[in-house]
This record gives sequence, structure tokens and C-alpha cells, in this order.
Amino acid sequence: MAATDKRTYLDLRATLSDNRLLGLWRLATGYRLPYLWATLSLAVATIAKTTTYLLLAYFVDHVLGQNRGTAILAWVAAGFVGLAALEGGSSLLSGWLTAKTSEGIIRRLRNYLFDQVQRLSFAYHSKTKTGDLIQRSTSDVDAVRRFYADQAIGMARIAISFAINWAALLNLSWQLGLISVLVIPPVVAVSVYFFRRVSKVYEGYQEQEAKLSTVLQENLSGVRVVKAFARQDYERAKFEAENIEKFRRGKKMTNMHATYWPLTDILCGVQMVGGYIVGALMAINGDISVGTYLAYTALITRIIWPMRNLGRLIVQTSTGLVSYGRLVEIIKQDREPMDEGDYLPEGPVRGEVAFDRVSFAYEGDQAVLEDIDLHCAPGAVVALLGSTGSGKTSLVNLLPRFYEYSGGSLRLDGVELNRYPRRYLRQQIGIVEQEPFLFSRSIRENITYGVGREVSDEEVEAAARAAAIHDVIMTFPEGYKTLVGEKGVTLSGGQKQRVSIARTLLKNPRILILDDSTSSVDTETEADIREALEKLMQDRTTFIIAHRVQSVQNADAILVMDKGRIVERGTHQELLATGGTYRRIYDMQARIEAELEREVSGV
Amino acid sequence: MSEAYFEEEEFTTQFNGKTVLRILKQALPHWKMLIGFVAAIAVTSVLDSYFTYLGKRMIDEGIAVGNRGALAGIAAAYVGLMLIQAVTVFFFIRNAGVLGERITYDLRKKMFDHLQALSFSYYSRTPIGWIMSRVTSDSERIAELVTWGLLDVVWATMNITTALVFMATINARLALVVFAMVPILVYVAVRFKTKIIVEYRNVRKVNSKITGAYNENITGVRVVKALCREERNLDEFGGLTGEMYRAAVRAAWLSALFLPTVQIISALVVGVIVWYGGLQVELGALTIGGIQAFVSYITFMMWPIQDLARVYAGMQNSIASAERVFSLIDAVPEVQDREGAVDPGTIAGDIVFDHVSFRYEDDKPVLQDFSLQVRRGETIALVGPTGGGKTTIVNLIGRFYEPKEGRILIDGRDYTELSLHAIQSRLGVVLQTPHLFSGSVRENIRYGRLEATDQEVEEAARIASAHEFIVHMPKGYDEEVGEGGNLLSVGQKQLISLARAVLAQPEILIMDEATSSVDTLTEALIQQGMERVMEGRTTFVIAHRLSTIKRADRIIVIENGGVTEMGTHAELLRAKGHYYRLYTRQFRAEREQGVNPFAEQETVEAPALVAEAVPADD
Repeated sequence: MAATDKRTYLDLRATLSDNRLLGLWRLATGYRLPYLWATLSLAVATIAKTTTYLLLAYFVDHVLGQNRGTAILAWVAAGFVGLAALEGGSSLLSGWLTAKTSEGIIRRLRNYLFDQVQRLSFAYHSKTKTGDLIQRSTSDVDAVRRFYADQAIGMARIAISFAINWAALLNLSWQLGLISVLVIPPVVAVSVYFFRRVSKVYEGYQEQEAKLSTVLQENLSGVRVVKAFARQDYERAKFEAENIEKFRRGKKMTNMHATYWPLTDILCGVQMVGGYIVGALMAINGDISVGTYLAYTALITRIIWPMRNLGRLIVQTSTGLVSYGRLVEIIKQDREPMDEGDYLPEGPVRGEVAFDRVSFAYEGDQAVLEDIDLHCAPGAVVALLGSTGSGKTSLVNLLPRFYEYSGGSLRLDGVELNRYPRRYLRQQIGIVEQEPFLFSRSIRENITYGVGREVSDEEVEAAARAAAIHDVIMTFPEGYKTLVGEKGVTLSGGQKQRVSIARTLLKNPRILILDDSTSSVDTETEADIREALEKLMQDRTTFIIAHRVQSVQNADAILVMDKGRIVERGTHQELLATGGTYRRIYDMQARIEAELEREVSGV
Repeated sequence: MSEAYFEEEEFTTQFNGKTVLRILKQALPHWKMLIGFVAAIAVTSVLDSYFTYLGKRMIDEGIAVGNRGALAGIAAAYVGLMLIQAVTVFFFIRNAGVLGERITYDLRKKMFDHLQALSFSYYSRTPIGWIMSRVTSDSERIAELVTWGLLDVVWATMNITTALVFMATINARLALVVFAMVPILVYVAVRFKTKIIVEYRNVRKVNSKITGAYNENITGVRVVKALCREERNLDEFGGLTGEMYRAAVRAAWLSALFLPTVQIISALVVGVIVWYGGLQVELGALTIGGIQAFVSYITFMMWPIQDLARVYAGMQNSIASAERVFSLIDAVPEVQDREGAVDPGTIAGDIVFDHVSFRYEDDKPVLQDFSLQVRRGETIALVGPTGGGKTTIVNLIGRFYEPKEGRILIDGRDYTELSLHAIQSRLGVVLQTPHLFSGSVRENIRYGRLEATDQEVEEAARIASAHEFIVHMPKGYDEEVGEGGNLLSVGQKQLISLARAVLAQPEILIMDEATSSVDTLTEALIQQGMERVMEGRTTFVIAHRLSTIKRADRIIVIENGGVTEMGTHAELLRAKGHYYRLYTRQFRAEREQGVNPFAEQETVEAPALVAEAVPADD
């Protein structure tokens, strides 16, 4: 795949333009020709239709009642069928090409956005709301799709239909042609005015629907509260208020439509009847033939009525342009360069990590890490302790280059970290989060998620066993094939963590980052997880983000962090000897036991 | 809209006469509007056909014979009828539109009102998204069928019929040819529309998969990056968009094929008319205007036929919607007032469980032969593992469910003799995960007693220790809490829900203590608030915190649907049984949490008296 087929994957950043219409034109790169063909087919269909009426005129003027024999009648009849076939064929071709191009452009846009979003930096994601990104990727994309599939081609249809039919009309009689379009400017003006207003009213109507949904949703999810306080009548009144308002707004919108359509009916109708009278008089005077009159009455319909919809297309196009603008904001962001870096070792790293006066700050903000000095040998275990916001997560985030350190030197196996390509680094590092994110896929797919190669069932099972999750998986209805999430099983925090451990075991990284939180699981599971973690940590350089003093005692180095700095460091024994925060908290444990003893015996 | 992620279900319902009748019944209360728009659309439709006929007369009686007077007359009639039609158009749009909104309104009101009466059991087996889509989209679909669907049908049938009548007046033989064409067109159109609906449903399905993929890749972006899954994910996603592309093009292709097919069939008939009609003209049996009228009628006929087909094809969906809506309206509340139920006005708060058994599902008993006597003002702490039956007990007290066997007595009287309102309006409830409604802080507290004054609201907030933080918010009591209270922290929500319960001045208080940890200060405030609220009231508390448990008059340890231990804190500790083990474990956990500066705040579940991870029992 990748970049081979321009019609499916294309770097859309190159197509961006400040002019939104130009941008949409360039977004269609590779699809413009078929799109033009679609428009051209539309023209052919229109010409066929117009010719049908001209044939009717010919038939009336030169065949009918002239006693020219049945052969010519047959020819004319065949002509009608042939023209219908041509018209039908062309409009089918046009519809098909329009669908192929608009869906093709959108497919490419979706692919690009999907990839863009997963390749944007951590910094971008941390400052962007998830809901907003999803909204843009779905409804804004759909608005752009409608631009190609409905609006652009729809306006082209009206324009072509107008041009061809008007030309035919002028050709029949230029006087008739001129007086037939008098009503068009006011109709278009009214149409634009109406659709602009009605789309605003419609927005309000939709907002009201959303409000009503919120009341309903809150009522349903709060049913315990409603019942417990016996507030059913109050809730009914609350819903009624929103419901009746929705009805009112719907009524208002209906009234607007009920005024617009008959009003433009009259406008257009007056134009038509006026045209009929003038045409009929011309025919009686012999200025035009009866056939011409017939053709005229048919053509005028095709010029005037479509104009009423022009306003809708124009108004909708403007919302399509706004959506495009929102997508541009995502597309123009810089991606995280995965392969940037000049040092790419053959095999895996050894895992020797050295921080030398490393500091870090988010874009222009206050420093989050300062003066971090740390050296750990391959296979060493480093535990990080500290309150929320002390910088321990930021510290480990530097290792896979999720963020770039802003000062000092950070070396892996003696080589400056930012010389390694991100892709390589991330393959060397495994992360087990506190509450790991699992995907709505099967358990097996979740375990093999980051491995990047085919894995045998035995391997998967071995990893699951080592992570103490195999037995749990076997209790699920479909074992390893069971889906995780809404449509399958819901896993507890501890179970998720063990799936994530199995995943990391399979990935077999040299460096490990663990968020060690077992507080949400029961004692038995905690022991299982601890054992699984021990296995995982063997022979790997490990960074543990710890939350309890009890869980770090075996670490080679324990760092206590505060406000972005390391305030205490050493082994368990050393820290106990020093007598700082670590010692104080450790001692607390013993005191709790004593207190408990007093409590229990004092009753 | 929240509905976007809700996957549409399959429609398998077949045509069902009873349901259709019941759908039509929804319009009966507004029969004037119904008759109004049916009459208006009928007139509109007849006029549409008549205009073509007038066009014919213009040619034959005006142009062909050079009669200017006749022409003027016909033109005048044209204009006059056009104005009349404008009026009927106005009325059918207005009546159908308003009727549609009205039926939607009626159905939603009916459903919502009924939902308030339905019991917990209904909610526990019906997902919220399911109910939401019944109230929001299904109701609209029904209204649409009764209004625009009916309108299309009336318009189309009238239009076809009158066109056929006019054609028969012009030339009966040719009209027969057209008559033969109609069923063919209808058949083709229905086949097409049915297929097109299926194709578009397929498109929507793939679309919801795409939305799901975006959703997951964006929420899980950190994992994706950490595991370098970008390429494979894009690959998979490309498969999905390819599927979407094919489905969408296929659906569009079918739609694009429909009109040309119908047009070509009509053109064949036009061909026949031209050929045969041409001969007739030569014989003098048909006029030029007549031919023109036939051609117009035939080419126009595809529109009413398309409308008929669309309504027919869409009807299955509407019927399925209607069946779901009606099933909601017909659902019978399991717990309701008995005949002659009374409301004594006040309740003292003496409660007796008399050999009560309960189960949610027939084969899984949750509570077995449970007996307990509680005097007014007593505080009962319920402790034990999740799924043991604690929540069931409080659900029974509130009569959200009723015992399957045995009785519950309130003030010495079987509580099924009382009305639901009598019990539930004397109840104060504080839930584990507090639920607030959109609106201001004040409105949320006042939910406890609607007629309370602002002073009383503030007084309640003071008692619940919520006043302090409320007045420190920019708008104080008028601060908006957001949807479901999501602009506030968990601790703040808990304090407000406490205040709400205080304001209700209940005789019986039910509390489900929160397990999520909040900062120490809020924690202390909540404790303080709870103690004040419990004073002098019969209280059942599903307790997790030691301080709450210790100050209870009695502690009941519930495991596997029954009471394993009961007594005061001191008695139970001395017994060294279940409670002793639970207590010591919780003591360590709580203390450690209290002194550990490295623990995560607000996000981590505190280790409560939870022995295993079993799904909650309701």
C-alpha cells in the first residue's frame, strides 16, 4: 500500500489553499477528469431531453396530419425512444461518475485524516479535545462529501440545464426567450433569502431536539433519583416544556415552507402563463409554428422550476466550505517524524540509560523537569515516587520520545537519544499503563496488537499464562476470540493490566515503563499481577512509576521526586538510613499496625 | 447527536394491519388537520392534472383555430386555478407539517409520561440508548408515515387516476395503452426502491464502523503510538474506507439507474402514442393538443409512481418503529399502587423485614428469608462484598422492587397498602455516584423539595457542608452544573446530592457511600455533612468508610444473599469473624491512603470493603 495509489493515499497537505474553493478543487486531484466527464454527461442528457422537445415540434409541424406515410411516424417514434435511451444512459453515467469521484475523494480524505490524527504529536493530542477531533473526522467530512456529491454537481446541473434550454429557446424565438427569464432573478433572490433564513430556523429546531434529548437522557440515567424523590410530575413538566417548544419551532418552520413554496409557485406560474399567452398569440399570428409553441411550453418548465432550489444549494455550499476549513486546520498540522534520526543500530539496544542535567518544559511553559541526573545500567530497575504533578510521568515520557527534552543530555547506550529514530525507540520500549486502553477487538488481537509480526497461538497463550490472564480468558464465551468492550466482555482494571502485560511480553522490549498501580484490585489478583510483573521485568531496564513505598523495595534505585526535581535517591536501605520523606512514610506502616492492634483490642 | 453511535437494528417486521391501524389512530385526535391536508393535497393533485388538460385546450381551442377570445378565457381560468392551487399547497404543507410535529409531540409525551411510571425492572433490562431511540427517532418515523407518507400516497393516486381519466376523455384507446404501463412502472419502482433502501442501510452500517474506528484510534492514540501500530491501523482503516466506497458507489449506482429505467419505459409508451396517435390524427380522431397532453401525462407519471414506491418501501421501517414505540407504551409497571392504597401523610420510620426473599431473575435468589427490625431514628450500616445483596435491601425499602416472598412493614403496616408516593416522597436518597441534572446548583438542591425557599436551600447546603464551596464559585448558587453535573468534581457532586437529601426532610434516609477517593478536605466535609443528615432519621447506609460504619447503631454483614453477622461495632470485632477481617483490611488501606503522598487522587478507586470483582447487583 502506502503512497502507491494516488487515488487512495495522497499527501493532502500539498493540496491546501487559502481559497477554500480552490482548495476543494485541488483536493479533487486525480478525480477531476472523471468529475468533468460527469458534468459533460449531464450536458449530453440535457441536450437529449431538449432535443426530445424539438423532435416533438418537428413531429407536430412536419409529420402530423401531413400524410407522409407510416414510415416517418415509426422513425419519429424510434427517435423518442432513442433520445430517452441517450438521456437515460448519460444521466446514469453522470450519476455513477459523480458517486465514484465524490466517494473516491472522500475515501482518500478519510484515509489521510485517520493517518494524520494518529501521527500528530503527543503535544497536539494533549491540547485537543477528543470529541472535537471525532466530530471533524465524521460530520465535517460528510459535509465535504455532500459538496462533491450534491452541491457542486447540483449547481452545475441547474446551470447546464439553464444554458442549453435557454439557448434552444432563443433559437426558437429570441423574443420569447428573453421574456421567459424575467422571473428568474427575483425567484433566485427569494430562494436564497428563504433558505438562508430557514436554515437558521432549522438549526434552532435541531438545538431544541438536542435539548429535549438531554432532558430525556438525564431523566433516564437519573431514574433512581427521580423515583427516590418521587419527582415524576416535575420531570413530566420539564420534558413537556422542551417538547412543546420543539413543537412550536417545528410549526414555525412548517409555516415558512408553507409560505415559500406556494409563493414561488405563483411567481413561476405567472411567468409561465404569461409566456403561454404571448407564445399562443405569436402562434396565432403565424410568427411561430404550433410545434415551436409546444416545444416552448416544455422548455420553459425546465428553465424556471429548478431555480427554486438554487438557494438551497448555495446555502448548503457555504456550510460545506466551513467544514472544509475545519478539516484544513487538522491537515496542516505537522506530523511526528517517525524515521528522523541518524543513528539506527542493527539489533536491539542494551538498555543503558543516562540522564545528564536533563530538563523539560511544554512549549514555552514553566519547566516540568529540571536537573535530572540518573544513570542506570542495562537491566536495572528504577522506581519513581512522587505526588501527582511531581514530574515522574514526564520523565518516562521522554524515553520513547513522546516529548523532546529541552535541555541537558539524555543518552541511550551512550548515544544521544534524539539521534535514534522514534520508530526504533518505540520498538525497544514497552509500556504497561495503570489502566491500559484496550481496543474493541478480540482478546487475541489485543495481545498481539503491537507485535508487528505473525504470532502463533502457542506464543499468545504462553504470554497470557505468564501474565496470569490465561485462566480468566478461558472463562470467556469464546476464549481468545472474545471481543473486548461493549459487544463482548468488560474487563476489570486488573484484567486489562494483565492483558497489557501479555502484550508487552510478546513485544519483548529491552526497556520497560510500568505504571505500578494495584490499588484497584483485590489481594489475590494483586499477587498474580506482581508475579507477572516480576517475570516481565527480568533482564530489562525498568522504570516503575510507583504509588506505594511497599512496592519499590527491591528496586536498584529509588527516586523520590517533587516539583520536577529528584529530591531523594538511593536503594531502599540507603533511603531508610537517610531518614527523609521515604523513611517517614515507611515508618508509618509500622505505626498503622500498632494502631490497628490498639483499636481491635480496645473494644 | 448522541444517536450517531447507536447502531441501527435490522428491520424484520412484516406488514402488520393492526399496527398500521394503530399508527393511523395517532392522527385521530387531530382529525381536522388530517382531513384538511388530505383534502388540500387532493385538490392540488387534481389541479396538477387539469393544468395539462388546459394546455391541450389552449392549443386545440385557441391556437389551432385562431380564437383569441377562447385563449383569453383559458388563460384566465389557468391563473385563477393557479391561485387556488397556491392556497391548497399552503394548506397541505402547513397541515401536514404541523400534524407531523403534533404527532411526534404526542407520542413523545405519551412515552415519557409512561417511562416515569415504569419500574426499575424495566430500566435494568432496557439499555438507555434503546429507549432514547424509541422516543426520538422512532416517534418521528411514525409521524412521517402518517403525514408525508399519506400525503404522497394521496397525491400520487389522485394524480394518476385523474390523469388516466383525462386521457380517457381525450382518447380511450390510447389511454388503455397507458393503463397497461402503470402496473409495470409500479412494479419496477417498488423493486428498485426496496433494493435502494437496503443498500443505503448497508452504507450507514459501514459508516458507523468508520466512526467507531476514528473514535477508538483517537481515544487510544497513546497506545497506538507506543506500539508503533500506525501503518497496520491505516491499512485496516483503508480496508474499511474501501468497503465504504464500494457500498456507497453501489447505492448511488442503483439510485442513478432507477430514473433512466423508468424514463425509458415511459419513452416506449410515448413512442407507441406517437406512432399510433399520429395515425389517429391523420384519421382526425386525435388533435395536436391531445398528443401533447398524452406526452406530458406519460412523462410526468414517473413522479407519482416513484413517490408511491418510496412510501411503500419505507413502510416496513415505519411499522417496525411503531411496534417498538407501542411496546414501550404498553409495558406494564411491575410495582404500582394497589387498589385503595393510602397516603397517611407522615411516616414515623419503624421498618420491619418479615421473612423477605427476593430475586431479579427466577433462578438466582439474591436475598433469602431476610428478617430485620429497625426502630425509628436508628442507623443501620450494611457492609459486605459487592453482589452480596446490600443494594437489594435498600431497593426494597424504597419499594423500587417488592419482595417476592415475605412482607415489609412500615410503622406496623404492610407497605403495599400504602401508595408509592407515600413511601417515596418520605425518602431521602444519596447515591454512590451522585446524579445531578443540567441547571443551576440551586435548582439541583431544590430538587429535594420543590417549594423550598432560597433560604431553605442555603440552609440545607450549610448542613451538608456544601455552602462554602458553592459561594466560592463565580456565580454561587446560580452556577450551572453542566450536563449530568459534569462541570463539577465528584466530591462537589456528592456534597450537592447530600444537600438535596437534607432539603427533602425525609423520615427515612438511604445512603450508598461513595468509594471513589476525593481530596482529604472534601472527604472530611462529606463525613461531617453525612453525620448531620443522619441525625434523628432512620438511616440505611451501604457503608465503606470506617468512621461511618463505627457510628452506626447496628452493623449488618451481608454475604451471598443473607445476613452472616449482625451487631454493634464492638460486638462484631470481638466475634473475630467476617466483620473483623473486613475491618482490619479496610483500616490498613484507609490509613495508608491517608498518609501516602504518592497516591493518585480522584482517579483511583479506594480499596473499599470489596472482596471480589463481581458485577454490581442491579
